[in-house]
Amino acid sequence: MKRANKILTILMFLFLYAPMAVLIVASFNTGNDITNFEGFTFRQYALLFKDSTLLSLLGNSVLVALLSSFIAVAFGTVAAVGIHNLNPKMRKVVMRLTDIPMTNPDIVTGVSLSLLFIFVGSNLLGAKAALNFGTLLIAHVTFCLPYVILNVMPKLKQMDRSLTDAAMDLGCTPLQSFFKVTLPEIMPGIIAGGIMAFTMSLDDFVISYFVTGPGFITLPVEIYSYTKKPIQPKIYAMFTLLFGLIFVLMLTMNLLQINAEKKKKDTRVRVESKGMRIFKRAGAVALALCLLLGCVFLGVQANQHTIILNVYNWGMNIADGTDDTLDIIAAFEEKYPHIKVNYSTYDSNEVLYTKLKNGGISVDVIIPSDYMIDRMIEENMLLELNYDNIPNFSYVDASFRNPDYDPENKYSVPYTWGTVGILYNTKYVDSADVTGWELLWNEKYAGKILMIDNSRDAFGIAQYLLGYDVNTMDKAQLQECADKLAQQRPLVQQYVMDQIYATMQNEEAYVAAYYAGDCMLMMEENPDLAFYLPEHQGFNLFTDAMCIPTCAQEKEAAELFINFLCDPEISGANMDYICYASPISEAKNYMEDYLAESQIVYPSSQILEKGTSYAYLSEDISRYVEGLYQHATKTADQSQTDNPNSLWPIVAVIALVGVAGVVWFLRKKKK
Amino acid sequence: MEFDGERILDGINLYINDHEFLTLLGPSGCGKTTTLRIIGGFLTPTSGTVTFDGQVINDVPPYKRQINTVFQRYALFPHLDVYENVAFGLHIKKMSKEEIHTRVTEMLAVVGLKGYENRHIQNLSGGQQQRVAIARALVNEPKVLLLDEPLGALDLRLRKDMQNELKRIQQATGITFVYVTHDQEEALSMSDTVVVMDKGRIQQIGKPEDIYNEPKNAFVADFIGESNILDGIMLEDFKVKFFGRTFKCLDAGFAPNEPVDVVIRPEDIDFVPVEEGHLTGTVTSVTFKGLNYDIIVDFKGFKWLIQTTDFQPVGATVGIRLNPEDIHIMHKSAYSGMFGDYSSYSAEYDELTEDAADEEE
Repeated sequence: MKRANKILTILMFLFLYAPMAVLIVASFNTGNDITNFEGFTFRQYALLFKDSTLLSLLGNSVLVALLSSFIAVAFGTVAAVGIHNLNPKMRKVVMRLTDIPMTNPDIVTGVSLSLLFIFVGSNLLGAKAALNFGTLLIAHVTFCLPYVILNVMPKLKQMDRSLTDAAMDLGCTPLQSFFKVTLPEIMPGIIAGGIMAFTMSLDDFVISYFVTGPGFITLPVEIYSYTKKPIQPKIYAMFTLLFGLIFVLMLTMNLLQINAEKKKKDTRVRVESKGMRIFKRAGAVALALCLLLGCVFLGVQANQHTIILNVYNWGMNIADGTDDTLDIIAAFEEKYPHIKVNYSTYDSNEVLYTKLKNGGISVDVIIPSDYMIDRMIEENMLLELNYDNIPNFSYVDASFRNPDYDPENKYSVPYTWGTVGILYNTKYVDSADVTGWELLWNEKYAGKILMIDNSRDAFGIAQYLLGYDVNTMDKAQLQECADKLAQQRPLVQQYVMDQIYATMQNEEAYVAAYYAGDCMLMMEENPDLAFYLPEHQGFNLFTDAMCIPTCAQEKEAAELFINFLCDPEISGANMDYICYASPISEAKNYMEDYLAESQIVYPSSQILEKGTSYAYLSEDISRYVEGLYQHATKTADQSQTDNPNSLWPIVAVIALVGVAGVVWFLRKKKK
Repeated sequence: MEFDGERILDGINLYINDHEFLTLLGPSGCGKTTTLRIIGGFLTPTSGTVTFDGQVINDVPPYKRQINTVFQRYALFPHLDVYENVAFGLHIKKMSKEEIHTRVTEMLAVVGLKGYENRHIQNLSGGQQQRVAIARALVNEPKVLLLDEPLGALDLRLRKDMQNELKRIQQATGITFVYVTHDQEEALSMSDTVVVMDKGRIQQIGKPEDIYNEPKNAFVADFIGESNILDGIMLEDFKVKFFGRTFKCLDAGFAPNEPVDVVIRPEDIDFVPVEEGHLTGTVTSVTFKGLNYDIIVDFKGFKWLIQTTDFQPVGATVGIRLNPEDIHIMHKSAYSGMFGDYSSYSAEYDELTEDAADEEE
């Protein structure tokens, strides 16, 4: 019986801590692949501490967590005392009300807070950037408060009410009696509530995502937008450190509690050891210092640079100094010391569009894709550029000037371009089969095919295959494409975006459709992979271009930034990192040779002529396509897409644990 | 004084002298704690005034009154040790460290807790906690010390010791004590003045002896000690008639033929041979109490409690004599007829009331 108990306990801990263990192990892995431990190294930690962007994001998160938990503790304690002094009926009602934000789904809280902030900020106060550090802080305080109240209330209830009477009897004013008697009594609850609030705030993503602007981003929000490329191992290292921090925090708290209980039990002498007292003081001083430094840091950040330039870009879409690339933002700030770049990211054109459309944020430079620029121009969301400030535009190749999406080149300067093609594994795929987009429909490779997971690209592929215009608005044709995609569904292993890296590199799938630049990166990791562009059928040629949205506050600085990125030397260094093609031919001189000479990144101009770019379809058609896509690929037969084989072991383990639990419970009951 | 529209105290008129040990005595819910809290300043009366040294202090908050309190469950600060608990009030008064040290040490010696300075509150026995609570209040040298059932949580032996201790401290310091209890024995043995309260009203104020010997009404007579209370008629001064017989008594000042309550204390009654007795009755129950027997005797359907060392078996016919000094006459009051009949008497009666009283806030 006891053994069964032990085994169950061990199983439970295994269940709880296995994910963390994998992460920790991965953070010390020499290789980049989680599934294969190649050797022990601290390299990822070294990389982490060199990455000023990540560290400053972590700093942001810790700062928000510290400030919000501190404010929540102050407000929450006062609120708890107030609630405690209400009559029992009211107390119950108020407690219910304070619990709701905690049980409310985060997404509801997030969206409603965001709406409120935008309404008050933009409409009532007329602020351009309604969503900022302040709103983020307010939101965090909001969801942290109930945790503090919940932890403090029981301590208040436990407290003998006559204690405060006694304090007043001995000469304390009501305020003094709160600080001298009530506060020490409820301190354990306050500390527990504070720590809970701190951890809640530190790892919050959903609410933060909705209530902060690109001006101030926390770590979880940033990491979520890293979807264009796989998560870098240095992030594992950071998570390991974070986990360690929380673990130590919790452990100290528990040890302190155990110690305190021991002291109470110890019938001889109390005497708070001097060490303990110093430790407590030091802790308080450290916390105060942290808060103070945080405020000073923010203040300095705000004052030191006369201009703060908010750049809003795709995740991992600018060279940041890792892997011996140039840190472009640092280089820019060095050249223009009066400008401080505030860099943040989004993960899809649609997110960018929604954020801008919702309002409440202010950004100065954005880098959307072609069809989105088309749409934004149509909806008057972009400012006209002043080319006097962008002399480097002269470097941009003629073929990239006056594109379809911006015929007069009034609003956009191209940043990168690329193609969508087929990535396949030469070991498994017969070269005779590599004839065109139909490869993705080849039943020979059933279950080993990955399809790109967004409606625009998926429909594009079907349209090239069927020989239709990719910008068609003909519903009959679109329906035909949807049927084609539905026909493909049984063969597809997964619909993927960034998961493609691991799956293709590990040879779990053999054929996939994806962006050329990413394919280059995967081919570097696995030499058996090859890229194919079905030029005879047509393919998507996409361009991401830099624009200034109407909400921008620093237009001139934004143009300086755009100009800087058009410098061939900078552009070349940038492409070394992101592996897409530069619209500036001269940049090739500053790029690594393998990239500059790559047929994949830079297909010949004859081939490029076969490529077409997406235009903006009407909102109506966009929705129609999205609906067709969801229906064709997701809804019908779930088992096909979920790959049931991999789920079985998990289901079996859960069932086993469940059964074991029930058996154990029943046997215990019998006894 | 009213709470939520309900009258808790009514027509309280109480004068407390300097250096006095005054006890508020009464059953649960009689308003004694409320009275104490008004004096302490924790409650403000809805009408009437509280004066202290001739000054109205209705609106003076507790922390500005020269009054300290020993709370029912001590209300010691659990996060502080014995020394810091006692020093608490002095710290608030911003006294110098040396002075605090001298006074706290002195006070701990007075309550017999020398050497316990660094003990944690949780590690003290009930009696020790009690002493800390007293020391914590007295160290501030208040003019008045309020004590709210301070011995309620202690066992009987400890309670007796602490009673003596409290009395000693009160006499040594000369501080006015206002003491709340529901225990009549405690009240009688410690107090200079006893205030008997019931239903928010003062029933009687007086010295312990007067309260016991000359209860004003049936409630006081019954609450303080045991009493047989009978309906009688005061024929004239010094002559009372009950049970169809006229008895001599020491009371005067009643209207002729006024209906009155007659109190006869159980311990004042002696058995005599049947033929010599004023009254004869039959023994219906006998309980051995250690010092004496509690004997219930049925006189013509009215049951009396008699406390005597003279054993009588159940069923025996006994006679009693009543001397004039054994008889106490009271005016009729609202309490007439409610007390003094031992028809339903049981030995547990006392303990039941005490338990009920303990639950009082």
